[in-house]
Amino acid sequence: MSSTLAPAGFSQETFDAFLAARDEPGWLNDLRASAWARFNELSLPTNKDEEWMRTDIRLFKLGRYSPASELSEIESPRALLAEGVDLGGSCSSVDGLSVESELSAELADRGIVFGSFDKVISEHGDLLRPYIERKLVDPHYDKFSALNAAMFSGGTVLYVPKKTRVEQPLHSLSTMTDGGVDLTKTLVILEEGAEATLLSETASTSTEAGGLHCGSIELIVEKDARLRYVNLQNWGSGVWHFAHQMGHVAQSAGLQWTIGALGSRLAKVNQHVALTGKDAEAQVNGVMFTQGKQHLCYNTHQHHQAEFCTSDLLYKAALQDVSRTVWRGMIKVDEGAQRTNAYQRNDNLMLATTARADSIPGLEIEADDVRCTHGSTSGRVDDQQLFYAMTRGYTRQEAVRMIVTGFFQQVFDRITIESVREALGEAIGQRVRDL
Amino acid sequence: MLIEVEDRLLVLIHAAGHFYALDDVCTHDGGPLSDGPVDGQDGTIACPRHGAKFDVSSGAAKTMPATKPTVAHEVKVDGDQVLVRLNEE
Repeated sequence: MSSTLAPAGFSQETFDAFLAARDEPGWLNDLRASAWARFNELSLPTNKDEEWMRTDIRLFKLGRYSPASELSEIESPRALLAEGVDLGGSCSSVDGLSVESELSAELADRGIVFGSFDKVISEHGDLLRPYIERKLVDPHYDKFSALNAAMFSGGTVLYVPKKTRVEQPLHSLSTMTDGGVDLTKTLVILEEGAEATLLSETASTSTEAGGLHCGSIELIVEKDARLRYVNLQNWGSGVWHFAHQMGHVAQSAGLQWTIGALGSRLAKVNQHVALTGKDAEAQVNGVMFTQGKQHLCYNTHQHHQAEFCTSDLLYKAALQDVSRTVWRGMIKVDEGAQRTNAYQRNDNLMLATTARADSIPGLEIEADDVRCTHGSTSGRVDDQQLFYAMTRGYTRQEAVRMIVTGFFQQVFDRITIESVREALGEAIGQRVRDL
Repeated sequence: MLIEVEDRLLVLIHAAGHFYALDDVCTHDGGPLSDGPVDGQDGTIACPRHGAKFDVSSGAAKTMPATKPTVAHEVKVDGDQVLVRLNEE
């Protein structure tokens, strides 16, 4: 367990001590103070709010958690996404406190900035200021976005200058101790014509660990830039996970965003992609596997703000035990976003009759010359497929595992990074039990 | 009345002189039964969202749109205390 600021909880004293312990520019302190005021005004969401109707957080007690003030000495969990990958840089944090940041000298010489938020803000505050002030994630949206905006620490910043191509992937790992707090923020900025790949993952110190993650992700992909971003959530089974994630994709730019959601007790994530310039493209891939009493809720939003843009979302989930997933997807097309091509699909494989998947796709279209489609399927493992595999010599569990892997293959095929495919495949394979 | 027992939310019901405890969840839409009205005469509690009714003693779904029972827990009154034994099904 990490040591904490006194007193416990998220009190005014906690916030004052947090600010006092940091040496940050005045403009950032002002942003934090404004968000903190909003945090204190807001109540926790309730299941009377439309967005939270299917996600019950009445057992969540915010006052039980406090941000860490000192680094815990722990054995870092295995970084699944980095295995066998030639990385250009990596950074890590424990309970939102930065541990290390590394960037190859060759990339640093080309003007690339990468590392933990705390380190980068002290060295490149003026560079980051306009991007932070854009507030892609609205600090006033709800109590969780306000808390993150007020007290974010650790996390990852990646800045790639104009027309700079980063071939080697970069990697970040956020670790949380049992009962700890992680308030990390990820900010990625790709200037015009830049290209990069960021592999980001979260993990607890044990598979049963508890804690609170209240995070944010902001991806800024400027004109003609290309970003591949992978985010693997692999917290312990007692973690409350709340996150706001937003990507802005400018003219002729491309974003491939892959999420893997495996861990946590309860997750509530708002993942938004806005296509802000003509001919922008976004591909969103989601892989979810739930077990035990897990509850994972993902609200996705594909917002077409400009004409001739394409977005393609595919979320696949497999559920066992009494776990539950909720996916609410929305394609929003603004009036001027003619010739939009948007798709969203959610497939659920039910591995137990006691599991439950809620799949709620939606369209809100104000333009009159668009192609917007959506689909959703939920079903059980086909007994005939199981029988056939067993007649070929596979055990029942091997057959189930093979069918589950096949179910996810469609989304794996879209993931172009081998280590990500292997990490997700391995993690899911370990979790599948006999039916 | 909403109560918390070992990291689980239950609705404790006092109807027709007896105490009952159910999981505070409607099996149709996940709504909180503790916000719904109790009908002491027919021994049911209704979900405030869509009106599905559950038997307060067994948790059985009595009306649409719920079709599956919610979990009922054993309740015992001991002096001025109400004791609940969790049903771990």
